[in-house]
Amino acid sequence: MSGLILTTRDSAGPPIDMTGVLPDRLIEGGREALAGLMLVRGRERHRLDALFALQDGGPSGGLVLQPGDAVLDGVGSGMTAGELRVEGECGAYAGSAMRGGVLTVEGNCGAFAAAGMAGGSLRVLGDAGDFLGAPLAGGTRGMSGGSVVVMGNAGDRVGERMRRGLIAVHGRVGGLCGARMIAGTIVVGAGCGPGAGQAMRRGSILLRRAPEAVTPGFVDGGMNDWLFLDLMRKELIDGGAWPSGFPTAGTRARRLIGDRTAGGIGEVLIVSEA
Amino acid sequence: MRLNGVHIEDTFAEAFPMLGTRVVITADTPAWVQAALVSLTGFATSVIACGCEAAMERVLPSDETPDSRPGAAVLLFAMSKAELAKQVARRVGQCVMTCPGTACYAGLREGAAIPLGNALRYFGDGWQIAKRVGGRRYWRIPVMDGEFLCEATTAAVEGVGGGNFIILAADRRSGLAAAQAAVLAIREVPGAILPFPGGVVRSGSKIGGKYKGLIASTNTAFCPTLRAAVPASLVPEGVESILELVIDGVSEAAVAAAMRAGIAAVADLGATGGVVSVTAGNYGGKLGRYQFRLHEVMA
Repeated sequence: MSGLILTTRDSAGPPIDMTGVLPDRLIEGGREALAGLMLVRGRERHRLDALFALQDGGPSGGLVLQPGDAVLDGVGSGMTAGELRVEGECGAYAGSAMRGGVLTVEGNCGAFAAAGMAGGSLRVLGDAGDFLGAPLAGGTRGMSGGSVVVMGNAGDRVGERMRRGLIAVHGRVGGLCGARMIAGTIVVGAGCGPGAGQAMRRGSILLRRAPEAVTPGFVDGGMNDWLFLDLMRKELIDGGAWPSGFPTAGTRARRLIGDRTAGGIGEVLIVSEA
Repeated sequence: MRLNGVHIEDTFAEAFPMLGTRVVITADTPAWVQAALVSLTGFATSVIACGCEAAMERVLPSDETPDSRPGAAVLLFAMSKAELAKQVARRVGQCVMTCPGTACYAGLREGAAIPLGNALRYFGDGWQIAKRVGGRRYWRIPVMDGEFLCEATTAAVEGVGGGNFIILAADRRSGLAAAQAAVLAIREVPGAILPFPGGVVRSGSKIGGKYKGLIASTNTAFCPTLRAAVPASLVPEGVESILELVIDGVSEAAVAAAMRAGIAAVADLGATGGVVSVTAGNYGGKLGRYQFRLHEVMA
């Protein structure tokens, strides 16, 4: 089955809510079902083919979005299967509530990317905004499965209330990374802002170097060997998720345990050279 | 059938379904892998009294183990899934977790899950950590030398227990040489183990005995010293020593391959090596689901 390339007809104007523009729909209903989909832009509703020029191409059964300068919100939101590639930038909620499939954003994406994500894979070649992998509005749990790789930096509250899955940010993250985290793994290639792991219960935050300020409530468990790091490294290197600055051998790391003020036994691991 | 002067009797080995699993043990050095293995597979020769049958399947080089350290694959078999789960949890808990620097991984993926780390995690007293890597779940249990890493579950598959063949030799020395040659050959076969000491049994048994409540007693028909006294003796003239190799495998094919490799190694020594004949143990075909006919295995 041929894929479909969607190119915005008019870059100017308010953001377009892309909810429902999914490879799943193309596979199930074909090109016509997708073309007739009603999208919200600002205060107006439009057929998809009024906002986008459609042409065959891209991955089999998949979608390619060419946003130009338009802001596309909710790209891949609720996606369950297939492949979706954005040749440009995304607005907010990219990959939110995703259940499966592969979403690739070749530029930056806005806030709440992968929020409430439960499965699948999101790869952002640029930067990501705040609340990456955090809960959706009104939700009590962040990401509960799947994997997110950000090649650039990410904003505040990465992985907030995360329950399961992996977030790997090759660059810096902002404050409160992994705050109120329940489980899962966050890997940060460069520095992180204050409050990492604040009120976390379980889960792992892997850092290349010590945070600028250790979050109160964390205790220093000292250096040791952590065999699971070897398994994780192999897995993440295969998926391109192991930050380039991280050591490629050895299992040594300094472990900060917390947040003890919340009764947590989560960990911030500062990974060392072999 | 004669192979290199060795008579291969036209009979069959009778074997039974068993539940089996494979675990992979790693440690910092081969010596510590060995230490864990000896303990893990100790007192695991026969389900008659040990609860399970277990032995090392093969040594794993560093590039074949999950954590790139020296390791070994171990097969364990029991008569039921519940018993296998109990034995695995006890043995890994007492013999692997206790051994410095070790880690334990599932060696089978397909099959009914039985607890591995899931059964041992409570030893962490609340400080244990579950970690999912690559779709697999592990438990990290804090211990005095750091952390014991153990995969959450392994898989149980229906295997075959009690595959066997019996070597009849002119004397004890030649019988032992033949058995050892067979052991070396069988250890090259994947998916099969020899659970008895050194891979060889000298006290083969028959069901029951003259004493009430006895599950098994010495196989009088194959005791050379009783040849003249036991009417049903199966010991031919000129045979002074008889040894049995018992084989468990993850499949019928694995057991057959192991029997073939073992008997071929015995036959290679030939009649000049003191081997008189090869036979197999069975119960008349009434008890076991599997029958391995020696002539078919060696065809």
